[in-house]
Amino acid sequence: MNDALWLAVMAVALGTLAMRALPLAWMQRRLHRFGDDPGLNAVPAWLGVLAPLMIAALLGVSLAPQRQDLVGWLATLIGGGVTLAVWRSTRALGWPVMAGVAAFGLVVIVARMWA
Amino acid sequence: MSAESIRHTPPAWLTGLREAIPLLGGYVPVAVSFGLIAAQAGFSTWEIAAISTLIYAGASQFLFVGMAAAGAPLWLTVIMTLLINVRHVVYAPNLAPWLTASRWWPWLMHGLTDQVFALAHTRLPQIAAPQRLGWFTGAAVLAWASWIAGSVLGAVSGEWLTRRWPLAGEVMPFALPALFLVLLAPRFTSFRWSLALGASVATALALTLGGLTNVSIPLAAACGALCFYAFKHRPRIMGRTGS
Repeated sequence: MNDALWLAVMAVALGTLAMRALPLAWMQRRLHRFGDDPGLNAVPAWLGVLAPLMIAALLGVSLAPQRQDLVGWLATLIGGGVTLAVWRSTRALGWPVMAGVAAFGLVVIVARMWA
Repeated sequence: MSAESIRHTPPAWLTGLREAIPLLGGYVPVAVSFGLIAAQAGFSTWEIAAISTLIYAGASQFLFVGMAAAGAPLWLTVIMTLLINVRHVVYAPNLAPWLTASRWWPWLMHGLTDQVFALAHTRLPQIAAPQRLGWFTGAAVLAWASWIAGSVLGAVSGEWLTRRWPLAGEVMPFALPALFLVLLAPRFTSFRWSLALGASVATALALTLGGLTNVSIPLAAACGALCFYAFKHRPRIMGRTGS
């Protein structure tokens, strides 16, 4: 990379860090204004609504399977179902993910053997 | 808490590290792809490591490398790359109520990616205040390290890896939707929330399938918010009252 490209990398890196860190300073000042025990009242309502919706959007993006055929969608459906079923019984973080990935993989492997 | 239980409680950073392990399933295959593509575009291994260390944002790194390799003007490359990351501005304020007083937090925000935010937004409120800094550090550093290591691995032997273990590259990324499902499931607490979350998931999925991945997250979240507030403000029919 030449000097100009390094400069571009640094500009993007600093810009991205600013977008992640500066809003924190804004909110911390706002929390400070609300007193010693501000709780969630200091967080604007729209911001509190937006957070779970962003996570939902991330889920939607990641649900699109790499192979968009019957096997890909079936594996996604079964993997998702198994994840939710294990979460309902364990209410844990790690086990449902492992079970979901295993179920997803199993469907893909069975489909390959079948083919 | 007894002295015995305190002795057996793992350090907060270790808990964060352990709970961030599912992120690796999604990070490593994408990082390997980035390393491979960047190497093919003419970047050296250590330049790729530097980009992943400094920028640390998946979609924008792909765009940066692609535009730079295509010879696009650098000012346009920088602007387009930053535009993709604009969604990150809403993440830190949502975590702020649970962040303790420490001068490390602003620097730790470098590790606040989409996935780390989703994990932290669910877990930080459940963790005791003195443990939060350690927990976030463990989770964010593991995710960051795996992204850098995956990029280097992709640059050095990406082609060999994808030829040798094609199944791993296909199966492991499912860890991300599985993790998001687990993080989101407890939030389906009412019809209103279910409608908004469902709309957001469906919109993001549709936009991604339509090839609009880069704008799908903010647009889908906006669509979900529209459903959330539209349901609240729907007109009441005479003789009926809404809940």
